[in-house]
Amino acid sequence: MPLSILLPMVVLGIACIAVLLHMLGLSRRATLPDQVAARAAWLREFPGDAPRYVTLCQDHSAALIETETGRGVVWPMGADTTARYLTGARTRRTKTGLRLDLPDYTAPRIHLSLDPDEAAAWQDALKETA
Amino acid sequence: MTDMTAFPDVVNWAVPLFIAAILAELLWIVIKGRGGRYETRDALTSLMMGAGNVASGILLGFVAYGFFVLLWEITPIDLGTSFGVIALCFVLDDLRYYWVHRFGHRIRWVWASHVNHHSSQHYNLTTALRQTWTGTFTFMMVVRTPLILLGFHPAMVLFVGGLNLIYQFWIHTEAIGKMPRWFEAVMNTPSHHRVHHGRNPRYLDCNYAGVFIVWDKLFGTFVPEMDEEKVDYGLVHNLGTFNPIRVAFHEWVGIYHDATQPGLTWRERLNYCVMPPGWSHDGSRETSTAIKARHVYQNPDVAGTPGLPPSPEHHP
Repeated sequence: MPLSILLPMVVLGIACIAVLLHMLGLSRRATLPDQVAARAAWLREFPGDAPRYVTLCQDHSAALIETETGRGVVWPMGADTTARYLTGARTRRTKTGLRLDLPDYTAPRIHLSLDPDEAAAWQDALKETA
Repeated sequence: MTDMTAFPDVVNWAVPLFIAAILAELLWIVIKGRGGRYETRDALTSLMMGAGNVASGILLGFVAYGFFVLLWEITPIDLGTSFGVIALCFVLDDLRYYWVHRFGHRIRWVWASHVNHHSSQHYNLTTALRQTWTGTFTFMMVVRTPLILLGFHPAMVLFVGGLNLIYQFWIHTEAIGKMPRWFEAVMNTPSHHRVHHGRNPRYLDCNYAGVFIVWDKLFGTFVPEMDEEKVDYGLVHNLGTFNPIRVAFHEWVGIYHDATQPGLTWRERLNYCVMPPGWSHDGSRETSTAIKARHVYQNPDVAGTPGLPPSPEHHP
């Protein structure tokens, strides 16, 4: 197929599908309804390291996890979740909460939506980890 | 041996079909409320990976094709382009696909290219298009050497490889349950391939087939989809980014960091490149074999069931 046809078709096709998905309401992020869900989301990534403490953020979009090994975070990846340990993480306050910079090519930056008090508390907690 | 045999670039010609089928699957899921899941950023990443794969083929395709033409120059055999030869080439190339795909899961250097195809936590027709940008760097084109030396024209080999990829498109769906028994017995199907995309210990490293599932049955890597264990899609450690660049290159970066850390022997550095994913010099990580063994140790009742080893005598 000539590039002059293939290229516009690919670009247009991708754009149309993305817009359609968004308009259908399929851009909603996952939420963690309760601590049990946050715990399950952590164990899905690290089945051998059970959480000792789970701190769910107020809008249920993420959770701070404490295990015997260290601290970690569970957060939404689109409609699903993922999790990382926070070893070496740097934290920075943002307008909407907290930004975590991780030394991890597969999860370099995590934006957490936290209210100001919550962001301060999480930042304090994470100082010990970094 | 030189000639100007021409076959169409079927994958590019199938692009309109891919787009139409994705829209049809999406419509089905929205209307019926079942049959899979879509999420905007995940689908967008998959589609961009697909576009990047086409672009990398245009930019780097000459490397593999040049190699094949070189082989074609030296082989004295030309099987021609009859329908029977093309059909035989398709079947043998599917056997080639099985082994390349198996290497892709068991050799980290090849996994670095293939991993992105498994990096979505969704399983829908866009996942089929989440293809590698770095396939050329795995050098897996050498596995096609016997086909060309046996007299199958390079253009024909690429043509049947394209047909193979097109076949595999429709099996990336949850909208189809199981096909008729005879079909499930011989062909790769949505059910078989869902298992291949699973991150459950039971479903790791199995069902490598492209078109014919018989290769997995023949070489002992077949695991059926089990009603009692729903497939959990994605990687053992799921990505925390939708950035296509990071999706495409993350395992290569991982290899670089692992193989260049100080204090390793040269053998250890090499092993970080060629041993199965999850291998580490100090045993601090888990390969799929170790994950399965641990799972069986923690759940002895599932020992010896499909995809899982018998009960271990010692803690793995």
